[in-house]
Amino acid sequence: MTFFMDAGESFKIALGAIVANKSRGALTALGIIIGIVAVITTMTAANGLKNTFRETFASVGADVVYVSKRPWVQMGRGFQFRNRKDISLAASDKLQERLLGRGVVNPSISGNQSLKYRSKVLDGITITGTTDKQIIVSDMVPESGRFLTPFDVAYKKTVTVIGSGIAESLFEQTNPIGKEIKVGRYKFTVIGVMEEQGGSFFGGPDFDRQIYIPITTFGKTIGFNGGRANVNIAIKAPSAEAMSTFEYEVIGEMRKIRGLKPTEDDDFSINKLDTLLDSYNSMMGVVVLVGLVITGISLFVGGVGVMNIMFVSVTERTKEIGIRKAIGAKRRSILLQFLFESSTICLFAGIIGLIIAQILTEIINKLLMPASISPFIIVVALVVSVMVGVLSGFVPAYRGAKLNPIDALRYE
Amino acid sequence: MSSDDLATVPLADGVILSIENVTRTYVMGDEEVHALKGVSITINKGEYVAIMGPSGSGKSTLMNMIGCLDVPSTGEYILENQAVSAMSEDQLAEIRNEKIGFVFQTFNLVPRVTVYQNIELPLIYKGVAKRHRRKIVEKAIEAVGLGERAKHKSNELSGGQRQRVAIARALVCEPAIILADEPTGNLDSSTGKEIMALMDGLHKKGHTIILVTHEDDIAEHANRTIRLRDGLLESSG
Ligand SMILES: Nc1ncnc2c1ncn2[C@@H]1O[C@H](COP(=O)(O)OP(=O)(O)O)[C@@H](O)[C@H]1O
Ligand SMILES: [Mg+2]
Repeated sequence: MTFFMDAGESFKIALGAIVANKSRGALTALGIIIGIVAVITTMTAANGLKNTFRETFASVGADVVYVSKRPWVQMGRGFQFRNRKDISLAASDKLQERLLGRGVVNPSISGNQSLKYRSKVLDGITITGTTDKQIIVSDMVPESGRFLTPFDVAYKKTVTVIGSGIAESLFEQTNPIGKEIKVGRYKFTVIGVMEEQGGSFFGGPDFDRQIYIPITTFGKTIGFNGGRANVNIAIKAPSAEAMSTFEYEVIGEMRKIRGLKPTEDDDFSINKLDTLLDSYNSMMGVVVLVGLVITGISLFVGGVGVMNIMFVSVTERTKEIGIRKAIGAKRRSILLQFLFESSTICLFAGIIGLIIAQILTEIINKLLMPASISPFIIVVALVVSVMVGVLSGFVPAYRGAKLNPIDALRYE
Repeated sequence: MSSDDLATVPLADGVILSIENVTRTYVMGDEEVHALKGVSITINKGEYVAIMGPSGSGKSTLMNMIGCLDVPSTGEYILENQAVSAMSEDQLAEIRNEKIGFVFQTFNLVPRVTVYQNIELPLIYKGVAKRHRRKIVEKAIEAVGLGERAKHKSNELSGGQRQRVAIARALVCEPAIILADEPTGNLDSSTGKEIMALMDGLHKKGHTIILVTHEDDIAEHANRTIRLRDGLLESSG
């Protein structure tokens, strides 16, 4: 009971004291403000990165394993991977046979080539040679027209399905379906346009800016790197739950196809969303760590500033403490009064920090990636502010609380 | 920590406080100042006592002791059957809050807050609920004739008005004793008279009042005069 009445009273007094010392309070609060801005921006950026990442790799699918020559995330310089045998289209076909009825197998291969439609040229576009199974393993559908069919693949048709970004750049308002474009030196007929996939993760693939052609035409029109096909094989598991056992089946079948002895290591790599997530998580760890260090340093500096201002405040009000004690204030009341004052300073700083962080977030939103401050982050920021206030106010407040009443009253 | 579980020392009927052979020594570095050198006083309920003596004779030290702002170095102080000498700091705070009303020479109002808030403060420390506080504070403001000033800050008031606020603040917890240390010392003589009239009125209503002064015409308001000299009792009326 008494505590809450003290609290209300202390809060009023704290507000009064801060208003009376605006400039000093504002200066001291700077450290806290920076700290809060840092903590919010870090958390918001981390969140934004996570969302962008999710969007970009949504098509990877949690129930798909990829068999490739190299791992997606490579530690060191990877000489051991370079010397591996390429993964041939034939290997993919064999895998499909062996996994028949258990998983959907789709080989694909990518390269870069320029596109041309009438006078418009786009350079360095990712060309993916693939099969009709692509839309099953990557969960994408054409927005208009159709995707590649088994017939297109079997008969090496020079047809292509283009990403939504390519459609926009190359055709603008015109309907691309049925039009002929040049991929390098070869003419391809556009048979479909993929639906928009959205945001690309820094440096990650932009699925909207690529085109798909039958894998069987890839070698002739784009050309294999080093003259030999090295495909990535995507295999969709029957379900996400079955992934781990399915992964071992795939490894087993691949080892047979590659003719490995039981003592030999795998000469291919298994890739999946988890692998990407792991590397993403360790990257995120670095971002968060740096953010936390900046936050910690600023909050520490701010806290020391608040402690300093509170020592001044307690000293300036020594006489007031004496008066309050004379009329019955206990040590706890005085302690609370000053703790509320320091927490209020920090809470104000925290709110200012929140406002600045909101502005920063909008800038990030416009320039970098979708980002927004979540209610949870707001709560964290405010709780952290108040905690800094309580911690940094404690020693000065305690010093005020244990003043001897007559000495305090005699203070001028 | 309630004042109920303190050692009770029964005083004779009608006695509000008893000081027995009290000393107070201030230690400042190597130097010792003997502000009180063995003082014994008994004061009855409803008395109006003036403490007089030259500057430095220990008047304020004695007042602080009676007001429980300070405890004796040696000796006994019993206030309303309770042994003050043995109390903890928070117990002393509770006693000051509930049994003592201070009026200081320099008014000692809390800066920045209004007249109303100053007078309300002892009630907040006592833990009186807000709805009860309002009535008590308004009554006290009326009693000292400051009705229209409730929302003013203390720096907007004259000296006399400030002292009235201090008196109102001293009254709200219905103290056993009102202690006034040179209450007119910072006031002109006509304002001083008004304040003394207020004190006289409180005495008539039955309050026990102890006031420190070095002016004879102020001391004349009291029924009894205690004289201090050099930390010792010269006469106790
Ligand atoms: N807090 C203190 N510390 C040290 N000396 C003090 C303190 N308070 C009073 N004294 C000394 O004690 C003596 C009595 O002081 P005081 O009680 O204030 O006298 P009076 O009020 O009669 O003028 C003086 O010599 C004074 O300097
Ligand atoms: Mg004095």
